[in-house]
This record gives sequence, C-alpha cells and structure tokens, in this order.
Amino acid sequence: MTFLAINHATYAFRPSETVVDAVEWTIGQGEFHCLVGRSGCGKTTLLKVAAGLLRPTAGAIFIDGTEIVEPSTQVGFVFQSPTLLEWQSVADNILLPISLRRTPSSRDRQNAAELLKVVGLGDYAGRYPRELSGGQQSRVAIARALINEPAVLLLDEPFAALDAITREELQDDLLRLCALHGTTVLFVTHDIAEAIYLADRVAVMEAGRLRHDLAVELAKPRQRYMRYSPQFNDLCLEVRQAMDEAA
Amino acid sequence: MTMRVYSAGLLLILVIGWELYCRSSGISALIVPAPTAVLETLWGGLTVGYLWPHIWVTTAEIVLGLIAGCGIGFLSGIALGETDFVRRLLYPYVLASQVVPKLALGPLFVIWFGSGILPVVVITALICFFPLLENTLTAIQHVDPQKRELFRMLGATPLQTLRRLKVASGLPVILAGVRVAVVLAFVGAVVGEFIGGSEGLGAMIIGAQGMMDTTLMFAIFVVITVQGMIFYQATLIAERWLLRHHIKGVPQ
Repeated sequence: MTFLAINHATYAFRPSETVVDAVEWTIGQGEFHCLVGRSGCGKTTLLKVAAGLLRPTAGAIFIDGTEIVEPSTQVGFVFQSPTLLEWQSVADNILLPISLRRTPSSRDRQNAAELLKVVGLGDYAGRYPRELSGGQQSRVAIARALINEPAVLLLDEPFAALDAITREELQDDLLRLCALHGTTVLFVTHDIAEAIYLADRVAVMEAGRLRHDLAVELAKPRQRYMRYSPQFNDLCLEVRQAMDEAA
Repeated sequence: MTMRVYSAGLLLILVIGWELYCRSSGISALIVPAPTAVLETLWGGLTVGYLWPHIWVTTAEIVLGLIAGCGIGFLSGIALGETDFVRRLLYPYVLASQVVPKLALGPLFVIWFGSGILPVVVITALICFFPLLENTLTAIQHVDPQKRELFRMLGATPLQTLRRLKVASGLPVILAGVRVAVVLAFVGAVVGEFIGGSEGLGAMIIGAQGMMDTTLMFAIFVVITVQGMIFYQATLIAERWLLRHHIKGVPQ
C-alpha cells in the first residue's frame, strides 16, 4: 500500500535551473527506501520538497493520501548535521518538537527518557550537546525526530560526518527503531554500501532525475556480516554502474 | 592567582614610584599631586560625605542610560533584523545618526531637557544604543540556516523562532554588546555632565578645574575607575550566569 507518494515532483530555483525534474516515486507503509546520488544531484532538494519545506514548482507530495503543502507533525526530519540547540540539555532538545506546541507533561518526559535509553544514551538526559561525541549527537537528533512518533521519517545524510564503525552502529540502531514503530523512511545518502544495507529499495538520482531503482532482497533484520557477502557486493556494483551510466 | 599578585605588585611599584617622584622633584601639586595627597582628599570626600551625592547622581545616570539605551537598542535590533523592509528603510538613517558625535548634541539636549540629569541620561542612552542595535542585529541574522529549517519543520511560530532560536543562540553576541555599552556609558555620563550637569562626578571635575584643585580631580578619577570596574565585573558575572548553559562542554 502506498504511504508516501511523490507525484511528478519538480523543483526549480530559477526557471532555467531545474534541480528536481519530474520525479515519480512511491513508498509503501513501513518501507525503508534510500536515495543515492552524487553531491549536487538534487537529492537533498527532493527530500526538502517531500518534507514540505520547499513547495514543488510542479507536481505534488502525498502522505497517506493527503497532499503535503507545509511541514507536518506526521513527518520527522533529520538534517545533515545534528542541529542540536547547544544551550539546552539533551532532554530538552529531544522535547523541542513538543515544547514548541505545549508544555511537556511528565509523560512526555518519560517518553523522552525511554527514547534516550533506546538510542543508548540513558544516562545523558542532563548533559549538553557540546559534551557529547559526534555519534552521540546524531543519536540525539534521531531521537528528537522520533519523539512525536511520526509516520514518515526523512533523513538527509545524517551519518556522513561519522567514522565507519560509529556509522554502522547507528545504522543498526536506526533500522531497529524504524522497525519498532513501523516508520516509513526515505533516507538520502551518497554512500552506496549504506544505502544497500539500510534499504528495501534503492533509487539512483542524477541531475535531478531518478535513473535507476532496484529492490534489495537481503534478509531482515540485517546482520553485520551481510556487508561482506557476494550478494551485497553485487548489489553495490549494480548501483555503482547505474551511477556511472547516468553521469 | 599568582598573576593577580604580580598585577597588584606592579600597581604598588607604580604608585610608590609616583610618590617618590613627586617628593624628590618638588613638582607642583597643581600639575601632578602625590598619591598620598590624592588618597587623603578621597578619604576626606568619602568620610565627610561631599562626594557621595555626586557618586549617586552619576550612578543613577549610568544605570538609567544603560537601561534605556540597551533596551531600545535591543528592540530596534530585533525590529530591523526581523523585517527586511524596516531594515532597508531605516538602516541608513541609523548609521548616519551614529556618525554624528553624540556628545556634540549635549548643548542641544540641555536646551531641550533642562539642566538636571535628564539630558545626561539621554546622551548616555544614545551612546549605549548603537552597540546593542548592531550586535542584536548581527546575532539574530546569523543563525545556522539548518536550525532555522528545523524550526520551520517543527511548525514554530515566528515569535517562537525569534525567542527560542534567534535570541537564544545570539545571546553571547548580544551580551558582548552590553559589555561594550557599559564601558561607553561611563564616557557618556561623565562627559555629559561636563556639558550639562550641575551635579555628578563629571560636573565635579569641571568644578575642580575651576578651582585649580588637581588633587580633587585625581581623587575623582580614582572614584570613576573603581565605579567602572565594579560595573564591568557585575556585567561579567551577570553574563556568565545568563550564558551558564551556553558554555556547557566548551573547553574553558
């Protein structure tokens, strides 16, 4: 069943400069899709259009049948950098989406504490962002995006700045969290292996258009050893070739 | 800590050197009074009490000028930072008004506001206004674009974005403006009193000049310096308290 639908979405900063060019894409409920492409191919812009941060020049975005015209509480967004408020504690950062609407209740605080535990930062509620490592900050950013239990989660290369080992840990955590709530996910990355490991389906983007897509039929839940299997490598190669052909 | 001892030691050496110079050279107290004579006058002024009313007047002018100047500067900074139209319309005027030497307006303010503390408060406020305006404007315009997008994504109202993102993240820059304003407020108040005041430390300096009482002038310099340091330290303490969350995790 289609949950997130990108219908013919086009976005141009100027009439001559089409960044996203008539993209068609659908994501079923609870599915995890990745969008791979080089820097500047328009993938971040497409994600912002999907989030309602940018109005498409043509076409439309639908979530569960409703057109998205502005940012919605149904959608969680994780930016390239953690974008935490350095002057607020970890707990207050996670509660930001709630505290902008109403005073957080004790139940909200409990939820935040549990979410922190799930991302492995149970003892860090009272700390401040600058006291955390890069990986820990990314975890807080993900927890913040999930506090409202959004139906859709959009992520824009959230792990690009992390070291390889931390990135793998976070990928596993993200998969676990999304499976837990049945969240529908669109994840943008330039890392082919990351896309194959995370996604049920991978789309390759180049110059504003989707050039290729493939289904990833690896067993779920993913295990770390799968990264070294021949099947995994074949999928990576397929994506790589698609990127080369598109360029 | 040891550096503080050295600093205090240096002061002591300078003062002793000054004293010895005055005694050995026989220079007139009209030109350079000896530190002991200055201290004597200062002590007399404080114990007999004729200095106190002037200290209070100057303090009141500085405090009122700071509150008015910083308050209006902050609010104007927000108005200019938040609305493109207002900024483009008014910024050239604000800039032009800052190039006018404000102390030159003193005589005019005396005509407008009489000779009490009001003209001095107005001059002080005018001098404190610009650093706050400039720093507030800079602070709220230079917010991380991703954080702005985050607030947009979370459906924050413009007022929430202003208060919880722009002002909160710009607070260190805004408070740096307050620190500059505190220093400038002393210039504004004392020089303002030169022009229009009948009371206050600045007026007293002019009075001492008329009586050729150099020793009293030096005593007043000491008072103003001490007063300035108290204000500056108080500002630093307030700043540290307000920024106590901002500096968490920053290597000290």
